[in-house]
Amino acid sequence: MQNMINDEDMMLRMHQIHKRFGSLEVLKGIDMEVRRGEVLAVIGPSGSGKSTMLRCLNRLETIDQGSIEIKGEFLAVQNEQGYSEYASAAKCRELLSCMGMVFQQFNLFPHMTVLQNLLEAPVQVKKRSRDEVLPEAEELLRKVGLFDKRDAYPSRLSGGQQQRVAIARALAMQPDIMLFDEPTSALDPELTGEVLKTMRELAAEHMTMVVVTHEMAFAREAAQRVIFMADGSIVEEGEPVEFFQHPKEERTQAFLQNML
Amino acid sequence: MEKLMGTVLLMLDGTQITLQIFCVTLAMALPLGLLAALARISKLRPLSLLMELYIWIMRGTPLMLQLLFVYFALPMIGIRLPDIAAALLAFTLNYAAYFAEIFRAGIQSIPRGQYEAAKTLGMSYSQTMRRIIIPQMIRHVLPPISNETINLVKDTSLIYILAMNDLLRVARTIVQREFDMTPFVVAGVFYLAMTFVLTWIFKKLEAHYAKYDK
Repeated sequence: MQNMINDEDMMLRMHQIHKRFGSLEVLKGIDMEVRRGEVLAVIGPSGSGKSTMLRCLNRLETIDQGSIEIKGEFLAVQNEQGYSEYASAAKCRELLSCMGMVFQQFNLFPHMTVLQNLLEAPVQVKKRSRDEVLPEAEELLRKVGLFDKRDAYPSRLSGGQQQRVAIARALAMQPDIMLFDEPTSALDPELTGEVLKTMRELAAEHMTMVVVTHEMAFAREAAQRVIFMADGSIVEEGEPVEFFQHPKEERTQAFLQNML
Repeated sequence: MEKLMGTVLLMLDGTQITLQIFCVTLAMALPLGLLAALARISKLRPLSLLMELYIWIMRGTPLMLQLLFVYFALPMIGIRLPDIAAALLAFTLNYAAYFAEIFRAGIQSIPRGQYEAAKTLGMSYSQTMRRIIIPQMIRHVLPPISNETINLVKDTSLIYILAMNDLLRVARTIVQREFDMTPFVVAGVFYLAMTFVLTWIFKKLEAHYAKYDK
């Protein structure tokens, strides 16, 4: 944070985000930055607001106060009355198109085959020709190790396989930033490994990633920075080695003790 | 035997009217019902309320009354429709309302995650509906739509009060003329045959849409 950051490398910036559900304030002034190629792990107890924070980044939730910048342009900016105003619909669509998202529940389209899941958005949204997208989609399926499942329907796949398809589907839109919302939380323990492996490979290719997770091993080994959230605030952040070995805050220490 | 053949031939004529009402009503009420369902769940409050009112009236009053209204009351305010058009209007408006509620329930049964996945992939509302939500919804609503469709076959017999020679009216005419109950039995067999075909078609459709399920 203290370092001077080249603005061109700034991918995401949240400034003093507040979010309320009715009278319940779930985000209480979040400041966060993500640089190009950085893998940021967000950890914390359930109900700490970490998923909500992630969902605010791509406007699945709207913020009440504060501002969000994506690659140096405002998605939302705080006006003089103190409330957030979003950019025009067209601008929002343009800014959000650089982000892909992977959900806890995969959310594959069940009525489409694996391959159709990958082709859908590039063909329908970007209006690219199917022939042009097909080799890219097949390459992505090879990358996540599911080329042989390309004509299967999602219900035929294991949870781990579905999540790898979901990652490939998001990548098919060629995003600059990937958001992961507890990608392994719905999986049986023996299936989390294959998903985390895919994510590690992505990190090794310098994809910018924000990962909300309960997988401490992943946060420690694959992330460049870890944020610990509790009660809608960021309690502590730091580099993984320092963060996990010498947590400064009491709440962090208590949380990590429970997890390990 | 010859007499029975004559009865059957006469009733085939009546079946034509019945099938005509059935097919045209279905062809118009299904798309209209889908539009009404989309309007009903629209965020535009007046539109949604209007649809609620329409559905309430259509489901809350007898189809017989609606038929009589279109046939006898509309001409009083200067709207005179040919017999068959009047019947089709009433049937279509009535069935579209029922279909709308079925479609609405179907659309609302699709998990929110599907909308969110579509949104994060950059899809617009209409793309999401057309490509993601409605295709999944169709599978869910096939059983209730099948039910309503079979009801429609039988409801077509209501037009006999409008003095149109549908299957049931032809049967009754013969019964009254010859004092022989056979035409009623024949009519029953005809209705059963039509619902049998429909049941078969819907079974095939359900199997087709089940292919992506477990």
